Amino acid sequence: MPDPLLALSIGIGVMGAAAYVLWPRSGLIARFQQGFLRAKRVLMEDALKHLYDFEYRNLSSTLESIAGALGINGDEAAALVTRLETLGLIVRRQADLGLTAAGRSYALRIVRIHRLWERYLADETNVSEPDWHREAERREHYMTGEETERLSKYLGNPLYDPHGDPIPTSFGTLPGPRGTSLASLEEGRSATVVHVEDEPSSIYAQLVAQNIYPGLLVRTIEKSSKRIVLEAGGNDIVLAPVVAANVSVVPHEQRIREDRLHRTLGDLRPGESARVVGIAPACKGLQRRRLMDLGIVPGTTIVAELESVGGDPVAFRIQEASVALRRQQANFVFVEEISSGGNV
Amino acid sequence: MNGRSDTPNKSILAVANALRWEIGEGLHDSVTADLYREAERIAGVVTARSGKGQRLDLDRILDRILTSRAFGFPTMFLLLALVFWLTIEGANVPSALLSTLLVDQGHPFLKSLSAAFGVPWWVSGPLVDGTYLAMAWVVSVMLPPMAIFFPLFTLLEDFGYLPRVAFNLDFLFRKAGAHGKQALTMAMGYGCNAAGIVSTRIIDSPRERLIAILTNNFALCNGRWPTQILIASIFIGVLAPPYLAGAVSALAVVAVVLLGIAFTFLVSWMLSRTILRGTASTFSLELPPYRPPRILHTLYTSLIDRTLIVLWRAVVWAAPAGLVIWLVSNISIGGVSLAAHVVQSLDPLGLLIGLNGIILLAYVIAIPANEIVIPTLLMLTVLFHGIADVGTGAGVLFELDSPAAVADLLHAGGWTLLTGINLMLFSLLHNPCSTTLYTIYRETGSVKWTLLSALIPLVIGFTVCFFVAQVWRIVVGV
Amino acid sequence: MTRTEIEQCEICPANPNAKLLHLGAKIDGSDHIVALAGNPNVGKSTIFNQLTGLRQHTGNWPGKTVTRAEGAYVYDGKRYKVIDLPGTYSLLSTSTDEEIARDFILFGRPDVTVVVVDGTRIARNLNLVLQILDITDRLVVNVNLVDEAKRVGLSIDGRALARELGVPVVLTAARTGEGIPHLLHEIANLASGKVFTKPFRFVTTSKHVQRGVEQLSQLIQKAYPAIPNTRWIALRLLEGDQSIIDAIRHGELGLLATTGRRDEHVAVEGAGDERTQ
Repeated sequence: MPDPLLALSIGIGVMGAAAYVLWPRSGLIARFQQGFLRAKRVLMEDALKHLYDFEYRNLSSTLESIAGALGINGDEAAALVTRLETLGLIVRRQADLGLTAAGRSYALRIVRIHRLWERYLADETNVSEPDWHREAERREHYMTGEETERLSKYLGNPLYDPHGDPIPTSFGTLPGPRGTSLASLEEGRSATVVHVEDEPSSIYAQLVAQNIYPGLLVRTIEKSSKRIVLEAGGNDIVLAPVVAANVSVVPHEQRIREDRLHRTLGDLRPGESARVVGIAPACKGLQRRRLMDLGIVPGTTIVAELESVGGDPVAFRIQEASVALRRQQANFVFVEEISSGGNV
Repeated sequence: MNGRSDTPNKSILAVANALRWEIGEGLHDSVTADLYREAERIAGVVTARSGKGQRLDLDRILDRILTSRAFGFPTMFLLLALVFWLTIEGANVPSALLSTLLVDQGHPFLKSLSAAFGVPWWVSGPLVDGTYLAMAWVVSVMLPPMAIFFPLFTLLEDFGYLPRVAFNLDFLFRKAGAHGKQALTMAMGYGCNAAGIVSTRIIDSPRERLIAILTNNFALCNGRWPTQILIASIFIGVLAPPYLAGAVSALAVVAVVLLGIAFTFLVSWMLSRTILRGTASTFSLELPPYRPPRILHTLYTSLIDRTLIVLWRAVVWAAPAGLVIWLVSNISIGGVSLAAHVVQSLDPLGLLIGLNGIILLAYVIAIPANEIVIPTLLMLTVLFHGIADVGTGAGVLFELDSPAAVADLLHAGGWTLLTGINLMLFSLLHNPCSTTLYTIYRETGSVKWTLLSALIPLVIGFTVCFFVAQVWRIVVGV
Repeated sequence: MTRTEIEQCEICPANPNAKLLHLGAKIDGSDHIVALAGNPNVGKSTIFNQLTGLRQHTGNWPGKTVTRAEGAYVYDGKRYKVIDLPGTYSLLSTSTDEEIARDFILFGRPDVTVVVVDGTRIARNLNLVLQILDITDRLVVNVNLVDEAKRVGLSIDGRALARELGVPVVLTAARTGEGIPHLLHEIANLASGKVFTKPFRFVTTSKHVQRGVEQLSQLIQKAYPAIPNTRWIALRLLEGDQSIIDAIRHGELGLLATTGRRDEHVAVEGAGDERTQ
């Protein structure tokens, strides 16, 4: 039998090595996969996506913009553009670069996969928001057409990604950009957020941290050249105009009743009842449909019945049935007219 | 039915697509809200409430008690303890009876019967000593506890208590990325892991269901309880003064169960953060009204649906295992039995992780049914260490009447306290039995998840045993 | 003409199960196919057991029946095959269970679909009933657990419900077997074409959606004049329902024209609501 001390140190060494190789995201395997992303095909696809993105936003793309977006140097970018040109996917014009029809349809296919994935991650999983984009960037290069269609079907053929960008159809059609910039919203006007730009990631991280997402109702309280103050979900949000410019909104024709969106089912104490106003737009996909299946729709009266031993979940009486919801879910449900006399 | 060419179809789809962009995403919400409004209107027209029903009040009072901070957990522990106690106590007598009937009497009877008919030993050996005995063993160990545990559990289920347990325990499981209903699939797993896997159907969220399936094996099943209790009393109970022996060995078994629960949470947490990160997840838990259970009906269906099906599968898998046990101990290559070859090659690995080659071989053979681990161990130990006067021959499973006799035999086989402790750990942390694996395959329809559910506990088992053995040898020195 | 009320003597308790023969799992060679749908935990499996004589486990717990159970019985000389569909809250979401249930009712074309409804939770269960009414008109609504409803002080007017929905309604307490003969009778009447229904079809209130549905359903109407409920198809297309999109792409939509009408041809005039005989 080997010396136990020796065996123990070998054992610890093996464990350490396994962790080094397998550790999620920073392990060898994960890093190898990331390195793979720099492969030629992936670079080409990313370049096409970049060109498409600029075209959609009416900006002109150049060698420099490609190099910047992909994080490669000018020489590599030039080689990449030459290759794409020979493949007939892009054309060089006087001042900038443009997509050919073939290039555009290729780009749209990648964009479609990317946005479907973001949608899936946002709706069906609990992957956190800053990771959606990164995860989708990785997966978009490895999906066959058939897999893409299956994903789309599974999601019920969604129209928009979680940032509010339209998802191209399998025929490659796409509507133009929606809404106007939040920076241009007049003081005192309310609006619905329809799109949150996810690049550059530093600005996107600020928007996520401020909890701004498509579907959110906002109202400008104060506006100056230095800052924009918004009211949303009962909180004040302060944004720099540059940051606000990355958010698109559709202004409302009328003003929304101000107190409406402040209370949620999570605020109910056992015995209290309230009427549902709506489900927060942040609650999407499967989760949202489940809540609606349970009868949580505008107009339903709900009574908080029981707290579990741990205080979470809480059981609610919804349409004669007793349904347990976790606090995180209950906080998605906006309610009004809370009353304590809630004995059904 | 005319003019159904491709063109109108295409234009229908194109128009639909354009309209979808125009209408936007609120469609599902508004349609569902409309449906409910209409449903509520109709319900208002056709139903009338006459005073307050008594049942509803009773439900409410029950719920207040069963989910209260003061009584929620105590009631739950008491009820579960009662179910386990009834199972263990109640199973003793019929188990002994079945064992006498099938093993002590049935086996010699079949032996003499085959002898009377002049059946050669190489036919009666594998069939009677191998296959029959393994099946008889599984039936007598497995049937009585399952026939008691499952109906009791089903009664609690029909009454409506189990959803309240899930409700109370959800906060723990939520932190591990799992569903409160997993508590029930675990409880079911203490009866039988295969039944536990089937019961994960009550979890309708895909990710949480997979977590429950992959971790169910950490619930110590009925086939492994006897091993734990026996080894605990032989190796750990004897360390304490005689009047404490029973309590100490019981505590050791409880510690193993708690370790299993700890691993359930740990592995659930790791799974939900790594490979299952991108899997669909949602939470819903309804608390159905309490209904008086129909006892006879429940007895019947739980016996048919759960007990017999699980038992049948176990027996089907045990039969070939018995055959293999007989064959490896009786087929010789170069004068040494097949089993000896295998044990010799497994011995270094077994000793390294504080077990031995015989235990590893017993676990390989006992993949079909954990019930036969102890008889296989005893038979192989006798075979290898040439212990006379015990057992009934190569490849013939047997059990000894007193734990003391087993202890003597195992000590003679070179077992130490470390071997005992590591066997208890390995019995908790190894691959599920083949019945369970087959059930996992049936439920998930995926080879990948089936393999993973075998590999996760196996890797953990080897790792834990390895480190325990090395640390033990450094600290204790043996 | 619509007839939903039944002469009581035909189903009087003096002659309860005289015409019934359980066939258990012997399901080959059936005259009619009956689908059982409903929310989870409403006693659907108990009804299934009562009809077929099988003993599927029925727990007080949603989600017991996952695999599709099949059974059969003979009633009044005809063989009926019963399919117990997975319990669902709705047909609008996209879970596998819902897809199985929906596709069976839609494409499997059962002769009769029985929707089992929890008598203590009518409003919530009617949501599903209204959705199924949109797909098929050969529907019997079975309000189950009426004994439990009575105990909580709730009384249900079956006739009023039948009037509202335009389909036969049967009240049962399946655990004791109460009302099962009536249910068998209604299934037989509908399957053999003795009774016709005039199902209630709900209209969405959103003007926006209505306009889209109108425009699309006219197109579908033109391409498939025989389809009874084009508005529903239109609505599903607007929701992006893949099985409907596929059905149109592959030209299978025409199959729906005969939903539930395999053995007789029925002339359809105008929209699906005005069915004549």
